[in-house]
Amino acid sequence: MHGWGIAQRIQQVSKEVLQVQQGSLYPALYRLERKGLIQAEWGASENNRRAKYYSLTKAGREQLQKELAEWERLSSAVALILQRA
Amino acid sequence: MRLRWFQRKHEFEQGMNEELRDHIDRQTAANIASGMAPDLARRQATLQLGAVEGVKEDCREERRGFWLETLWANLRYGARMLRRNPGFTAVAVLTLAIGIGANSAVFSAIDAILLRPLPFPNGNQLMKVMQHNRTVKRQLWFVAPVRVEDWNRMNSTFQAITGYYTEDDSETSGILPEKVTRAFVAPRFLQVWGIAPVLGRDFSPEEEHVGGPNAVIISDRFWRRRFGGDPSAVGKTLRFGEYSETIVGIMPPSFLFPERDVDLWVPAPPDAPVAQSRDNTWYTVIGRLKPGVTAAQASANLAAVQSQLGKQFPKPDADITVDVQPLKETIVGGVRRSFWILFGSVSLLLLIACTNIVALLLARASQRQHEISVRFSLGASRTAIVNQLLAEVFLLALAGAALGLIVAAAASKVFRTLAANLPRVEEIHLDARIVLYSLACSVVATILCGLFPAIRSARKSISISLAQTSGRQVSTRNPVQWLLVSVQVALAVTLLAGAGLLLRSFQALGRVSPGFDASHVLTFHISGGWGETVDMKGLTQRVDRTIEYLQNVPGVEAAATTGALPGVPSLYQTELKILEGRADPERKTIAEMWFVSPGYFATMKIPLVAGELCREKPYSANVVAEMVVNRSFANTYLPGLTAVGRHLQVPGNTFVPAGEIRGIVGDAREGGIAREPGPVAYWCMSAPLPDPYYLVRTRTEPMAMAETIRRKIHEIEPSRSVFDIAPLEEHLSDSFSEDRLRMVLLGFFAATAVSLACVGLYGTLSFSVTVRQREVGLRLALGARRGQIVTQFLFQGMGACLLGCVAGCGLAAAFSRLLSGMLYGVSPTDVVTLSSVVFIMLLVAALASLVPAIRAARVEPMQVLRNE
Repeated sequence: MHGWGIAQRIQQVSKEVLQVQQGSLYPALYRLERKGLIQAEWGASENNRRAKYYSLTKAGREQLQKELAEWERLSSAVALILQRA
Repeated sequence: MRLRWFQRKHEFEQGMNEELRDHIDRQTAANIASGMAPDLARRQATLQLGAVEGVKEDCREERRGFWLETLWANLRYGARMLRRNPGFTAVAVLTLAIGIGANSAVFSAIDAILLRPLPFPNGNQLMKVMQHNRTVKRQLWFVAPVRVEDWNRMNSTFQAITGYYTEDDSETSGILPEKVTRAFVAPRFLQVWGIAPVLGRDFSPEEEHVGGPNAVIISDRFWRRRFGGDPSAVGKTLRFGEYSETIVGIMPPSFLFPERDVDLWVPAPPDAPVAQSRDNTWYTVIGRLKPGVTAAQASANLAAVQSQLGKQFPKPDADITVDVQPLKETIVGGVRRSFWILFGSVSLLLLIACTNIVALLLARASQRQHEISVRFSLGASRTAIVNQLLAEVFLLALAGAALGLIVAAAASKVFRTLAANLPRVEEIHLDARIVLYSLACSVVATILCGLFPAIRSARKSISISLAQTSGRQVSTRNPVQWLLVSVQVALAVTLLAGAGLLLRSFQALGRVSPGFDASHVLTFHISGGWGETVDMKGLTQRVDRTIEYLQNVPGVEAAATTGALPGVPSLYQTELKILEGRADPERKTIAEMWFVSPGYFATMKIPLVAGELCREKPYSANVVAEMVVNRSFANTYLPGLTAVGRHLQVPGNTFVPAGEIRGIVGDAREGGIAREPGPVAYWCMSAPLPDPYYLVRTRTEPMAMAETIRRKIHEIEPSRSVFDIAPLEEHLSDSFSEDRLRMVLLGFFAATAVSLACVGLYGTLSFSVTVRQREVGLRLALGARRGQIVTQFLFQGMGACLLGCVAGCGLAAAFSRLLSGMLYGVSPTDVVTLSSVVFIMLLVAALASLVPAIRAARVEPMQVLRNE
C-alpha cells in the first residue's frame, strides 16, 4: 500500500479516533524500511505516475506478532487493575 | 565509489520527492472528491502534510549511512574552522602531542615489560622452580643436578624441566685470552625455552653424557664479534686452556637468556661424577608447564614428588620444599611499582594538558557564540551542534595523537638508554598496540576536553548570547576558566612535590659518608674456573701471588681482593656462633659475612679501631683462619668485652673454618649506602671464589692504569683474561641507576606540568584582559592609575594560583605516601620541599601573570571606548 493509503486506513479503521500526523508518517516509514521490517516497490499509480508501495517482510511479520503479544499483555494487565480497583 | 554514493543520494532525493508529490496528489484528489475547489484542495493537502522541507529533513535523517555523512561533513567543517585559527590549533595540537606522546611512551614500556608474556612460544607456561632447605640459614634456591633429573622424570605437570648456571671463562684460541660468559645447561634446555638454533642444531644425546664429544652452541653476539657472521662458523672449534669444544649451533639474536651477556651454552652431563651429590646447589631451574596446567597445580605436584624423594633420600631431601613461580613474575616483579607510579604521573600530565585545552576551547567558544545562535535559529538540534563541536575537538586530538607518536618514538629511545639495566628493556618498541592506545587516548582526551565546552556553548538561550556578543555588557565573569587554572596548578604542584622529594632523597644518599674511600680505586676480574676449587691451597697461593705482584706495580698504592663489591647493595646475612662464652638462645648472632684479603682495609681506607689486622701469610690447612669484625658487631654482640682473641664459626658450614678475631675496624656501608651499617664479620680469605673482585688503589686516575695492569697480569698469568675493568665509583653510581631514572623522569614530567600550568594561566589571564578591555578603558578614563590596574590583574592570577597551591599541597601530602618506600632521609610530608615547591610555583605564576597585567594597563581609554 502506498503512504497516503496507509494514513487513510489508520484513520478509517480507528473510526477517526487516531489522526495520523502526516508529516511524521514518511520518516517513520523510512525508518521501518531501513530496519528491514517493511519493503518498498515502485509501481504505477492510478494516473500512470510512479508511486511507492510498501509491504511487510517476514521479519516485519514476526516483529508484528511480538508487538501484538506485548500489547495483549499490557492491555489485559491494565484491564485487570481497573477491574479490581 | 564517490560516483556511486552521489548516484544513490540522487536516487533517494528523486524518490522522496516523487513519493511526497504523489501523496499530495492523492490528498488533493480526496479533497476535491469531498467538495473543495481544486486550488483550495491542493493548498489544504500541502498544509496537511506540514512543512515540506522539515518532512524532507526528517526523511533524510532516516536514510542509511546518514550519520556517516554527517560525521564526515562535521570533520570537514571542523578542519576548516581550525585552519582559520592557526595559532590556537598549533598550541592545542602541541599540548595534546606532549600529553598523549608521553602517555604512549610510558605505556609502551609498561606493555613490553609488565603486560606482554615472555618472548617465547607460549611464554606463560614458563615457570621458575626453587627449593628451600629448612635447615640451612642461607636461602639459596639453587638445585642439585640429580634432583632436577628426578623432578623431570617423576612429575606429571611439566613438559620438561631443566637447569643452568653461568660462569666466566677464558677462550684462548686468539692472541689474548678473551673472557666469555658460559652457561652450563642441563638436557632439554632449548626444549623448555622453545627456541631452536638459527644455524646448526641442538645438542645430541651423546654430547649430553660424560665422555661424549665436547659441543657448544654460541650466541648471535659472540658469532658476529668473533666470526663476523660467517655461516661456516658451525663446525669450528673454540679452545679453553687444554681442551677444545666444537661449535654445533648458533642461536638467534633475540635469545638473551638466561642472562643478557651469555656467549655460549654447553651441556652439563647429569651423569658426571662431580654432579652426583644431592647437596649441590648449582642450578637455577626452569620448566615448561603442560598446556592447561596452572602454577598452583604444578606446585602441588612437585611438592608430592619432593616428599617421595624425601622418603627415598632422607638426607637432605626430607628437609627440602619446592616453590613454583611464573618466570615472568620473578623477572619483572621488582620494577612493577616504579612503573605504575610513572604511569600515574604521566596520566596526571595528560590531565593537565586536557585542562589547558578545555580552557582554550572555552575562551574560543565565546567568540563563536554568534554563529551558534544563528544555527539554532535555523533549526539545528542541540545534539547536532554538540556533535559538530566535538568533531572539531576530535580532529585536534587525532592530530595531537599523530604528532604524539613521533614524540613517543623519540622518548622510547631515550628511555631505553637511560634504563638499560631494567629487565626486558630490549623488548620495548612501538607497534600497532601502542598506536591503538594513542587512539584511545585521543578519544578520551576528546571527551574530557570537548564535552563540557560543547554542551556549555550549545545553550538555546538565544537572547542572552546575542546580547553578550553585541557588546553592550561591560564585563564578563568566567569562573569556570579560573577553576581550571587552579586545577592545573594543583596537579602541577603535586608532580613537582613528588619530583622534589625524589631529588632530595637522591641528594641525601649522595651525602652519606660510606665509611670507606671509593675514589682512586680500580676494580676488575681475572678469569678463573670453578674447577680450580678442588685445590683451595693452590688457588689461594695463585691469588696471593697476583695481589703481591699488583702491589709492586708502580703507581699502585695498595691491592686486595674481595668476594663482593663494597657499596653495592646485597642482603647476605648469616647466623654465626661465638665459640667462647655461653650461647644466648634468645639472641642469635646474625651478621654479614665478607671474604676479603688482608690488604682490603688499607686499600679501602677503613680505619682500624682495636687490635690488629690479619697477617699476610701462606695458607696452611691446620692453622685457624683469621678474621676481623666491625665496631657494630663488637658493640652489638660483645659489649664491654674484648672481641680480640674470640672465635667465630658458621654452624653447619664446612667451607668456612672457625676464625680467630684479630681486630676491630670502623663501620663501613659496604652492603649498600642506603642501609645503616650492621654487624659485619670479615674472613681473611683472599680466594673465596676462583675470580674474586680485585681492588687496586692507584695514585693517579684509576682508568689510566688499566692497560698497565692488564699487561702486567698477562706477564704472570698468560692464559687468563682480565675483564670488567672499571673504577669503583662507577659501580657505586650504577647501583643508583633506578633511583636516578625515576628522579629524572618525574622531574621532567613536573617541569612540563609547571610549564603547561603557566601557559594555561597566561592564556586565561590574557583572554580575561582582552575581554575586559572596555571595563579597563572606562576605569582609566574615570581616573584609576595604571599601577592599580596591573596589581588588580596580577592579584587575579596569583589568587587562582594560590588556591591551586593549597589544593596541590593537600594532594601531594596524600599521594606522596606512595613514594615512601623509595625515599631516603626525607619524609613524604617534608615541609622544606613543599614550601619550596609552592614558592617556585608562585614565582613562575607571578612572571606568567605579569605580562598580560602590564598589557592590560597599556590600554588607551579613548581608543577602546570609541570602538563601542
